[in-house]
Amino acid sequence: MSITPQVRQPDRAGRTESGEGRQLLVEARDLQKKFKSYHAVRGVSFTCYSGEVFGLLGPNGAGKTTTIRMLTTILRPTSGSARIAGHDVVHEAEAVRRAIGVLPENAGVYGRLTGREAIRYAGRLYGLPRDVLEPRIVEIADALELTKHLDRLTDTYSKGMKQKVNVARALIHNPSVVFLDEPTSGLDVISARSVRDFVLRFKAEGRCVILSTHVMEEAERLCDRVGIIAGGRIRSEGTLDALKAETGKDLEEIFVAMVEESIVT
Amino acid sequence: MMRVAWAWVRGARGDRTAQARSQETGMWIRGVYAKETLEAFRDKRSLLVLVVLPALIMPVVTLGIPYLEQRQQHMITTTTPEVAVVGKAPNLIHLAYTSKLIKPVQTTNARKALQARRVLAVLELPPNFEALVARDAQPHVGVLYDASNPESVAARTRVIDLISRYSQAVVAQRLIARHINPRDLLPVVLDERNVATQRQLSGLLLASLLPFFIAMWAVVGGMSLAVDEAAGEKERGTLESLLVTPPTREAIVVGKFLSVLTASVGAVIVVVIAMMVSLRWGYPYVLHTSQKLDVSLPIGTAIVMLGVAILFAALMSGVQLAMSIYAKSPREAQQFITPLYFLTVLPALAVQYITEWQSAAWAYILPVLNTFFAFRELLLGTVNWGHLILASVSSAFYAALAVELAIILMSRESVIFRT
Repeated sequence: MSITPQVRQPDRAGRTESGEGRQLLVEARDLQKKFKSYHAVRGVSFTCYSGEVFGLLGPNGAGKTTTIRMLTTILRPTSGSARIAGHDVVHEAEAVRRAIGVLPENAGVYGRLTGREAIRYAGRLYGLPRDVLEPRIVEIADALELTKHLDRLTDTYSKGMKQKVNVARALIHNPSVVFLDEPTSGLDVISARSVRDFVLRFKAEGRCVILSTHVMEEAERLCDRVGIIAGGRIRSEGTLDALKAETGKDLEEIFVAMVEESIVT
Repeated sequence: MMRVAWAWVRGARGDRTAQARSQETGMWIRGVYAKETLEAFRDKRSLLVLVVLPALIMPVVTLGIPYLEQRQQHMITTTTPEVAVVGKAPNLIHLAYTSKLIKPVQTTNARKALQARRVLAVLELPPNFEALVARDAQPHVGVLYDASNPESVAARTRVIDLISRYSQAVVAQRLIARHINPRDLLPVVLDERNVATQRQLSGLLLASLLPFFIAMWAVVGGMSLAVDEAAGEKERGTLESLLVTPPTREAIVVGKFLSVLTASVGAVIVVVIAMMVSLRWGYPYVLHTSQKLDVSLPIGTAIVMLGVAILFAALMSGVQLAMSIYAKSPREAQQFITPLYFLTVLPALAVQYITEWQSAAWAYILPVLNTFFAFRELLLGTVNWGHLILASVSSAFYAALAVELAIILMSRESVIFRT
C-alpha cells in the first residue's frame, strides 16, 4: 500500500491552516541536492512555525542530514529555495546562521576546553558581549544541570554531558530556530530523556524545532508534525493524528510503508 | 583574505559599514585564535614539540655531535696507529719509532690483519728497499688501508707523512753529498694568515646551522596544531558546529592560521635561543678549539632575521593548514605534511652549496630558497637590502596565497565533507 506525499504549502504571508497566528520560521521549497551523480535530496518542501516541533523521519541515508545541512547553510542547494526566519539560506546565509542553533549529528566537543570555555567560545562567535554572555552561560548550565561540572575539561565528561554542552552551545544566542540532528543517538536512557525534555522546553519557549530522527517513539512524543523522508523525498507530511487517521496505521507502520515504497520507486 | 583586507582598508578610509564589518571580523578572528591557542597550550604534545624538544635537542645537536667528532679526531691524532710493515727497512722503521707517526708491527698475513682491523694500515716495501734507495733506483712502496674505517684513513695519512719525511731526509743527504744546500730548493717561503674576524667565522658557523634548524622547526612547530585545527576538527565532529555559527570562512581560517603561525614562530624562537645559548656558552667548555669564537647575533640582524623567519613560518603555516583542511583525517593530514618537511629542509641544506645563485636577484623570489639566501646574507654580514626586500615581499605573497587556498578549501563542500 502506498501513501502519496501531502505537503501543505504556506501562502506568501507565511500563514497556513496549521500555522494560524504563529510565525513562519522555516520554509523549504522543493530543495534538491546532487553530489556529482548521486541525488541525495530530490525535492523536499515543508514549513515549521514558532512553538512547533517538526520531525524529519527517515532511515539512514534518506536525506535528513543533507536537508538539515542545506537549511543550516553548510551545503548549497542544487535547486529549490529555503528561508529561515525570513532569510534566504543561500543569499543571506550569515543572517540565517545568526537566527539558528544547530546540534549536528555526532557532534563532538573541544576536549581541552572546560564546559564553560566551550560555551563561551560559541557565545563569542555569536558576538555576545561579556556582560550578557556570562550570566547566559550560568543560566543555560543551570537548566541543563551542568553547573557543577562547568569548570572541568569536557574530555572528562560522559557522552550525555558532552551532548548537553553542545545543546548549550547551540542555544547560547537564544535562537528562534533550533535544528537537532539525531540528538539522542548513542545516548543512555537518562541522557536521551534529558535531551527530549529540552526539546519540549524549546517548544514551550516558542522556538521552532526541526528534529531529525529515526526513532518512532521519539517522534511520537515530541513532534507536532512530521515529514517522512525516504530516497531523498518527503513521502508524507502532516500531524501525527492526521497521518494515522488517513492511513489507519500507527507511525511505525506508516514509516515502514514509506521506506518500502521509496525502495520500489 | 583579500575581502578581509579590503574591508579593513575601506574601514580605515571612513566607511562606517566597512568599519563595523572589520570590527566584527576582527572579533571572530580573535575568538577563533584565542580558543585555538588556549587548546594548544593545554596540549602536552604541542608543548613538548614547541618548547621541550628544541630546548633539549639543540644543545645535543650543536654541542654533542661536534664534541663526539672532536673526541674522535683527538683520539686519531694522539694515538699512534699500528701499521703492519712488510719488508725490511731499518732506517725507515727507526724514523717511524722516533717520529711516533706509526707503530710498526710484524704479521704473517698483513692484508688479512687489515681486513680484521688488527692493524690500521699496511706498508709494503720491495725487497732490498734501502739498498734500492741508496742506488737512486726510485723503489715503489705500497700503502694498504680500509677506506670504510676513519682510523685506517688517518693511519694512511700518517704512513704517507712518514714516507714523505723519509724521502726528505734522503734528499737532504744526497744534496749534502753533492755539496748543495737543501735550502736552495726552497727559494720562496709561504707565510699564510687568516684575516677573517671571529664574528665572520661565527657567522659562517651560524649560516651552516641556523637556516636548517629554522626550516625544520618552522614546519614541525606548527604541524600538530595545523593537523588538529582542521583535520582534527573534522574527525571530532566539531567543524560542523563551527561552520553553522556566524563567522565567515575567512575569519575562521585566518584565526586558525594565526594560531598555527604563533606556534611555528614560537618554536623557531626557542630553537634560535637554545642554539645561541649552546654555542655561546657551551662551546668553550665542550670544544677546546672554539674558545675564541664570538658566537653572537647583533640585535639589528636578529630583528631582521626574525621578520624574515616570520614570513617564512607564515608560508609554512598557511600551506600546512590548507593541507589539513583538505585531509579527511589527522592521519592523512600528517601524510600530506611530511613531504613538505623534506621539501623545506633540503633547500636549507642545499643553499650553502649553490652560492653562485646568491648574487642573482631571481633567487630571492624563489619560494623557500629566498628565505635561506636572505638568512645567509644576514649571517655572513653581506646584506643586500634589495635582496632582503625581494625575499620578504615574495614570501609574504606566497603566504597570502597559501592562506587564500586554505579559505577556498574551507569554503568547498566537497572538501569539508570529503570521505
